[in-house]
Amino acid sequence: MTAEVLKYTLAQVEALELAPAAEHEQLEGWVPTLANEDDLRQALEKAFDYRGDVTLTLKNGERIEAFIFNCQTGPTLADSFLQYFTPAAPEKRKVSYAEIARVEFSGKDRAAGKHWEDWVKKYNERKAAGEQGIALHPEALE
Amino acid sequence: MAVPISQMWTVSTYVLKKKLTGTKRYPLVLMLEPLFRCNLACAGCGKVQYPPHILKKQLTPEECFAAVDECGAPMVSIPGGEPLLHPQIVEIVNGLVERKKYIYLCTNALELKRRLPEFTPSKYLTFSVHLDGQREHHDFSVCREGGYDIAVEGIQEAVKRGFRVTTNATFFDGTDPNSVRGFFDEVMGMGVEGIVLSPGYSYDKAPDQNRFLGRARVRRLFRAILSNREPEWKFNMSPLFLEFLMGDRNYECTPWGMPAYSIFGWQKPCYLLQEGYADSYKELLATTAWENYGVASGNAKCANCMVSCGYETTAVIDGFGSVKGFLAMVKGNFSKYRDRHALDLLNDPAPHGNAKLIQIAEPAHALEETHV
Repeated sequence: MTAEVLKYTLAQVEALELAPAAEHEQLEGWVPTLANEDDLRQALEKAFDYRGDVTLTLKNGERIEAFIFNCQTGPTLADSFLQYFTPAAPEKRKVSYAEIARVEFSGKDRAAGKHWEDWVKKYNERKAAGEQGIALHPEALE
Repeated sequence: MAVPISQMWTVSTYVLKKKLTGTKRYPLVLMLEPLFRCNLACAGCGKVQYPPHILKKQLTPEECFAAVDECGAPMVSIPGGEPLLHPQIVEIVNGLVERKKYIYLCTNALELKRRLPEFTPSKYLTFSVHLDGQREHHDFSVCREGGYDIAVEGIQEAVKRGFRVTTNATFFDGTDPNSVRGFFDEVMGMGVEGIVLSPGYSYDKAPDQNRFLGRARVRRLFRAILSNREPEWKFNMSPLFLEFLMGDRNYECTPWGMPAYSIFGWQKPCYLLQEGYADSYKELLATTAWENYGVASGNAKCANCMVSCGYETTAVIDGFGSVKGFLAMVKGNFSKYRDRHALDLLNDPAPHGNAKLIQIAEPAHALEETHV
């Protein structure tokens, strides 16, 4: 979900039976074309929202693999910046929009998949096969 | 009444002091997330999907203490991730107890029994154990057979050792209110201090977007669950917040009341939405456009939210901020909420059918009908 917001009236909100749903964009592997400033701003907004690493190529040629957790936008690209963590460095880092030449959604989208229905289906299959102690386990961190 | 008098006194004097000094925005509970790593892999989770290098990061005790000292909230909730996976969680808890903060350490309890000997019982420390319902329901919810039994073992051991223990449950569409009421009987029988409960929030990163209750359905479900209470049930929550869930009160969100701090910083605007981070609580207060959030704002991201991190603060301020609110709170603590209509709701089948995926950007498809 982006910053684009649909306004509800209070009466509409109070009458909701189910929550309005967000659509999950398939961004993994995407390399947006950055023809102008708007393209760059939109791509970086999506990169901020992405639950995977992205690879930023700076105008000086440096490539940064990063998880972007914060963005602050200003009137110019020089006033706008991203904050990120890299796999190798422990500290938060910052880069100006004006320095960024290319964005790749290079890392695995960690918010994709793991649907409830998939678990139900898998559970029923394993249960029917007589398995006990059925569980899903977190992915290894190494 | 499940909350001890000393804790109520601390919170009430804190709220009154803020009122007397004319402080408009202040924190009541700090949501301190020392890590996002978890030892469960719940299908549908929208909270902790991050790359491995992020899941390996964690706050240091010093970073935790600095956040607690800066914001000054009298209560600290420690969710995550699973806090008991943090190697320095005991040091963090002890540091908060020294600061006389009332701590709710939220845990799935898979590691609780093993780690209990490292902790010291205190009136300031409560283990808030995630249990989503009766055995089968909980195990299915957390995608782990046997999870309920492990958690209950942890609860029983913690109660035996003299710790304060509550359970906390989150409910989604399709919840059977009769089963929940049976679950309340079970957990009170385990000797816990009280029950904490909440409707689920529709995290936009959750893989399944069709299981989150809208406000109309939340009110119907919680009216069925919380009316006609058994005398044994105790809730570790504001009775006014429970009345809000049942549809007896209208409240607006207080998003700054339970601020969240993690490895990323102070989360804007609240524990549930991630629209950026500030480096300090002061900066969070100063740079967040608060008028854009809460149900009255019309923000679609706030549309289904009736979650405690936004609305329980409002209820607590209402309860301790006026004589009328205080009397309502006292009355709520002793009421059984007799309601014949709610008994009928217990016999009704829950509304079925999944919501269509709604395009946030397309208003024509954005609303569901109310089927009351």
